[in-house]
Amino acid sequence: MLILDNISLFQFRNYHSGSFSFSKNIIGFCGKNGSGKTNLLDAIYYLCFTKSYFNKPDAQNTSHGKTGFRIEGNLKKSGTPYKVVCVVRENGKKEFSVDGEIYTKFAAHIGRFPCVMIAPDDVAIITEASDERRKFIDYTISQLDLDYLHNLINYNKLLQQRNSLLKQAAEQGKMDETLFQVISAQLIQNGNLIFKKRQEFCRDFIPMIIALYNEIAKSNEKLSINYISNLESNTFENILKENRTKDLALQRTTKGVHRDDLEFKIDGGSFKSLASQGQRKSLLFALKLAEYETLLQHKGFPPLMLLDDIFEKLDEDRMHNLLSRVCVRNQGQIFITDTHCDRLNEALKRLDVQYQLFNL
Amino acid sequence: MQISSSLLENAVNEFARLPGIGKKTALRLVLHLIKQNPEEVQRFSETIDKMKKEIAFCTVCHNISDSAVCNICSNPSRKKETICVVENIRDVIAIESTQQFSGLYHVLGGIISPLDGVGPDQLNIETLVNRVQQGSIHEIIFALSPNIQGDTTIYYIQKKLQPYNVVITTIARGISFGGELEYADELTLGRSLQNRMPVEKYVSH
Ligand SMILES: Nc1ncnc2c1ncn2[C@@H]1O[C@H](COP(=O)(O)OP(=O)(O)OP(=O)(O)O)[C@@H](O)[C@H]1O
Ligand SMILES: [Mg+2]
Ligand SMILES: [Zn+2]
Repeated sequence: MLILDNISLFQFRNYHSGSFSFSKNIIGFCGKNGSGKTNLLDAIYYLCFTKSYFNKPDAQNTSHGKTGFRIEGNLKKSGTPYKVVCVVRENGKKEFSVDGEIYTKFAAHIGRFPCVMIAPDDVAIITEASDERRKFIDYTISQLDLDYLHNLINYNKLLQQRNSLLKQAAEQGKMDETLFQVISAQLIQNGNLIFKKRQEFCRDFIPMIIALYNEIAKSNEKLSINYISNLESNTFENILKENRTKDLALQRTTKGVHRDDLEFKIDGGSFKSLASQGQRKSLLFALKLAEYETLLQHKGFPPLMLLDDIFEKLDEDRMHNLLSRVCVRNQGQIFITDTHCDRLNEALKRLDVQYQLFNL
Repeated sequence: MQISSSLLENAVNEFARLPGIGKKTALRLVLHLIKQNPEEVQRFSETIDKMKKEIAFCTVCHNISDSAVCNICSNPSRKKETICVVENIRDVIAIESTQQFSGLYHVLGGIISPLDGVGPDQLNIETLVNRVQQGSIHEIIFALSPNIQGDTTIYYIQKKLQPYNVVITTIARGISFGGELEYADELTLGRSLQNRMPVEKYVSH
């Protein structure tokens, strides 16, 4: 069981200083627009991922006119307490520690305190470019498998190095062929591991999404999902060889696992162009719940669930089903925001579980 | 910080330009120097001045040196057939402190990272190949930071050394992923030197 007992914020966004203690598994935050609901959820996310869900740089996370911020949380995992502290110092340097032990690499923290967030703009996972879907898959796998995260970090670094060589080749008209071979070989090694892991992961993950979608959408259309990669039909080594001229001309690596995608289809046609608003929402929740279920299965306890403004997205019954799945069936902790305190209060009351409501 | 004397202020600013020294520490150091005898302060500044003017780099291994060949390379009791390849002079000092290594060094002056504008040409790689080419070297030990650029550098030099009959090893990874060599404690570093392994077997992740 993973529980956040309390969180303290200092100079984090609109919180000059604030502290919240949680004694229940369901916690509601209500308050008008701009009252700091999303910021508070993001602070919780920050403790789990060492960074903001919204990719905001730390300068923007610091209260306006201040330098440095601090987030401190006390968590409990299967009864064992952990104190997680993030300090961004006056000079912008970040320290992240668990029980006083400072990480030399933030990546080592990922997955220790698993967490799933659903935020208003997340429908981008379905509607926007493929990097949104890769990010979603990568964040899920990374919480399960640190080696995967290391491969990914290495791959991205090597990709930049390779692209930088391609650029230099174009600018200077020459390239160190040995170095190009070495970096390409390293890229291939990491790329193959990423491909294998994504493929293996999707084998279980995709059927789970489809089952959840069918349960949530309650419709008759047939949803199908495919993992798409350049590496499916050819070895990465051959792909790089075949695209060498093109890569040199465009000064970047055009093929590889950095172009992977998840393809959504409904009745054989493109989901993005055919699906209704409601179907998109259903798919989004199916994706996030599949992430939740996967983390639950692998870790043996439910991740923290952060739901931002989802009343705008779900009707009352679906909302009720979602909350009861997370809180009642799995005993997980859930943080949920809404602008209307009454609406939130009613929804939580219906669940027949104890809850806490904070009016921000 | 409000400082009444511009002489003092200039000195504080100079100290504060050093890595790891903030304004407050700089002030403490300068106030300390003010309390010293003039001769002592003169010795201090002359030592630094002389160091910078006269410091040389070993023409063989590129280590810091007082003469054309450093005292490691010219020491007759060191094993001349083993070369430990390091990134910078700090690494030489770190490995020397372990007292586990009695061979020679080669200081690359950095690691390969095209993204940061560091290609093989900017590093002391050619002189290393030349040393191996001369034939008396049996083993090259890489003691580079265990990160992806360190690997790139190892693989690159390995390719360049392929024509020669030399054993290529790398220090064992007692050091945590992404850890930098200079932060490794002496014990870990000493142990990873002893448990070095052939480069072919070594996979980074
Ligand atoms: N770095 C910062 N320093 C101070 N205030 C900030 C900073 N960043 C954001 N804010 C303020 O925080 C508020 C937004 O908070 P947040 O997004 O959490 O609101 P919310 O309660 O989620 O609102 P909504 O209901 O509209 O989603 C804004 O008023 C914004 O000005
Ligand atoms: Mg909000
Ligand atoms: Zn020397």
